[in-house]
Amino acid sequence: MTSREANPPRLAIWCLRHLCPGTHNEALTGDLIERLEEGASRSWFWRQVFVACTTGVWNEIRCRWVFLCYAAAGTVAVCLAPVHGPTRVPMWLHWSDLPWPLSQFVFELSSPVILTLAGLCVLAGGLAIEQSFRLAYLLRTWIINFALIAIGHYSIDAFPWLLRPIPGDPYHKVLVIPPAAQVLLLFSAFLVAAWLGCPMTKRADGAQGLTA
Amino acid sequence: MRSCDFFNMVDEMTQRNYLGEMELMVLLAIVRLGDYAYGVPISKELLLIARREVSIGSIYAALERLEGKGFVSSSLGEPTPQRGGRAKRYFRVSPRGLRAIRTTRVALTGLWKGVPALKGGSL
Repeated sequence: MTSREANPPRLAIWCLRHLCPGTHNEALTGDLIERLEEGASRSWFWRQVFVACTTGVWNEIRCRWVFLCYAAAGTVAVCLAPVHGPTRVPMWLHWSDLPWPLSQFVFELSSPVILTLAGLCVLAGGLAIEQSFRLAYLLRTWIINFALIAIGHYSIDAFPWLLRPIPGDPYHKVLVIPPAAQVLLLFSAFLVAAWLGCPMTKRADGAQGLTA
Repeated sequence: MRSCDFFNMVDEMTQRNYLGEMELMVLLAIVRLGDYAYGVPISKELLLIARREVSIGSIYAALERLEGKGFVSSSLGEPTPQRGGRAKRYFRVSPRGLRAIRTTRVALTGLWKGVPALKGGSL
């Protein structure tokens, strides 16, 4: 074997360290290097790294299925909101009678508040099944989620080039971001909120999971 | 269905005390290897005895699940230059893991006893 073949690919080691979720990555890297020293090829090494990263990500998804359900439910709720959503909420709250900037805040963000609360029902159910239900988790997730949505909403004012006019309609504008990317961003916002709001720590039995 | 039955079912589902095929094979490989059980020998044992070429990453994924269930415990060895200065992580089956192996063995043996010759060939 040449010395190049005996040396582990640096990029593969980097992938193992940064892209592969898991608690024993150093030991796994050591094992792969040991096999490389025994005569395994660099392509074998890369294959192992790919499988390790894929398996690790899949394990993470299995551990955090509650978050994914919450993100999916929240995204669907927000996407369906223009058609079936609580569009009358600002009127019920008499937004026009409120002082500025509260009136604008209520007008623009009261519907997302209701929608994120609807998504929280799914999160609460999932946490209950996982025996990790805590009101503090729900509250924290909801606050982070709402903050992310508000930042996203008001960032459009900070970056006006994100909007382009609709030909033939001088009153309305649309986002330049493709709809699929908007849905993905929304899903990410829900996912990040749940991730930060419900901490995953080591349980007493050593399991990596939601803690109650 | 009574509500307490439902909650008992949910409780049972979230216990996750059952063993998957991969987890059972990894546990048995650890038992066979004794004090020498870490990633590389476990993968070789699976290839030699079970004739399964399993990637080391998949073995570690199974080991992490088993550790989560409390079926195995692990400890770090000394770092060696052959491994790029990285330490080996040795695994050991816990008493709870041994109980799970025995339970699975009893269940599988019982199920096999009642199985007639499979279609397309004898057992």
